[in-house]
Amino acid sequence: MRNLLIKEFKLSASFLSYLFILFGLMFFLPGYPVLCGVFFVTLGIFQSFQNARETNDILFSVLLPVAKRDIVKAKYIFVCIIELGGLLIMGAAVALRMTVFANSEVYRTNALMNANCFSLGLAFLIFGLFNSIFVGGFFKTAYKFALPFITYIIVAFLTLGIGEALHYFPGLEALNSFGTDNLALQLLLLASGIVLFLLLTWISMKKSCIKFEKTDL
Amino acid sequence: MSIVNVKNLNKTYPSFKLSDVSFNIEEGRITGFIGRNGAGKTTTIKSMLNLVHPDSGDIVYFGKQFKEYESEIKKHIGYSTGSVNWYPRKKLCDIMKTVKRCYDTWDEEAYRKYLALFQLDENKTALELSEGMKVKCNLLIALSHNARVLILDEPTSGLDPFSRDELLSLFTELKSHNAAIFFSTHIISDIEKCADDIVYISKGKIVASLPKNEFIAQYSEEGETLEQTILRMERGVLNA
Repeated sequence: MRNLLIKEFKLSASFLSYLFILFGLMFFLPGYPVLCGVFFVTLGIFQSFQNARETNDILFSVLLPVAKRDIVKAKYIFVCIIELGGLLIMGAAVALRMTVFANSEVYRTNALMNANCFSLGLAFLIFGLFNSIFVGGFFKTAYKFALPFITYIIVAFLTLGIGEALHYFPGLEALNSFGTDNLALQLLLLASGIVLFLLLTWISMKKSCIKFEKTDL
Repeated sequence: MSIVNVKNLNKTYPSFKLSDVSFNIEEGRITGFIGRNGAGKTTTIKSMLNLVHPDSGDIVYFGKQFKEYESEIKKHIGYSTGSVNWYPRKKLCDIMKTVKRCYDTWDEEAYRKYLALFQLDENKTALELSEGMKVKCNLLIALSHNARVLILDEPTSGLDPFSRDELLSLFTELKSHNAAIFFSTHIISDIEKCADDIVYISKGKIVASLPKNEFIAQYSEEGETLEQTILRMERGVLNA
């Protein structure tokens, strides 16, 4: 597995996958839908899949002395590492906005979603959706990725839109908490996002392993 | 002793069917896998490497089911797919570094030897190589980890006559080290030159799987070359 991961990072990955992790910094932007940063991180990962397809990466991997299921697992781990890179930046941004910038006027008057633990939970959810819809969709054929990516874009932006709008609904104002207000609720929502991310990724990976085993290359 | 057993392989595509393909590959022998374009050679080879999922049938290497011991068995197989491009913009040395890590049987001495023999420059990218050099590059990987079986899909395609001759001589040398070599081709003179056994496939079915001398004794007519025999047989199959 270690060798396959080295192959993922050194041969299969597009440089843009690493560069686009920096879009996690969008969690600092006021007056901008911060979850767009999550989409851009996944767009970077998409570039690696495009690169992998152009360079016959899957066929090359299958010919190495590894089990086919390990190729799928290595791809998922690579994707998750890039996502965690983005989440680390987003998490740092959220931590700063909840503490140092908790009373910052520019963030307080922000009409859009505040970058708090709830938004971070949604980031986990969108990454989970990417792993489930796009990566899982790719491994149905190990070749076609247009439809899975378009489907993911639609679902991701619907989730983003709903997430942005929720705190305007009566009774849901707490979702847009600033600083450490409603901390228990914020942490609960973050934990829910993490659980959904893990579940979506795990189920998708299991399905992909089975599907890829039967895929003709 | 047979070290690879292909048993009753079946695979159906909308316009092509591989039917009950069975043959053995013997240790220390060169087996030529002959058939015209579209006869089922590549599908058979891909099935032997789990690249294609057969509808039914068994692939057994060294007495072990391939599906159950895939990664372990692959360490003892050398495989070349002709001139497929891997990571065309990466330097060969970078690709090789990754490949080496995956084989605990990697033989650096053999790697250096074949690198020099094939006159490959590690600092070139695949994009800068001719088709023939790409074939050699794939062969280099196949030959550098002391494989017990070499499965080569049309290894002589795209090679110049000198390189082809060198490669066929190399097969004979590897055979003397008890390696089994299984190579597909539609160039019958390659088989005439170095194969010990012949597996002949036509329209997805194995027509014959025999030692070369028995094949000639059974199918060749007086004064016929192997090429003429196979051409006559192929016409017969097509007219059947």
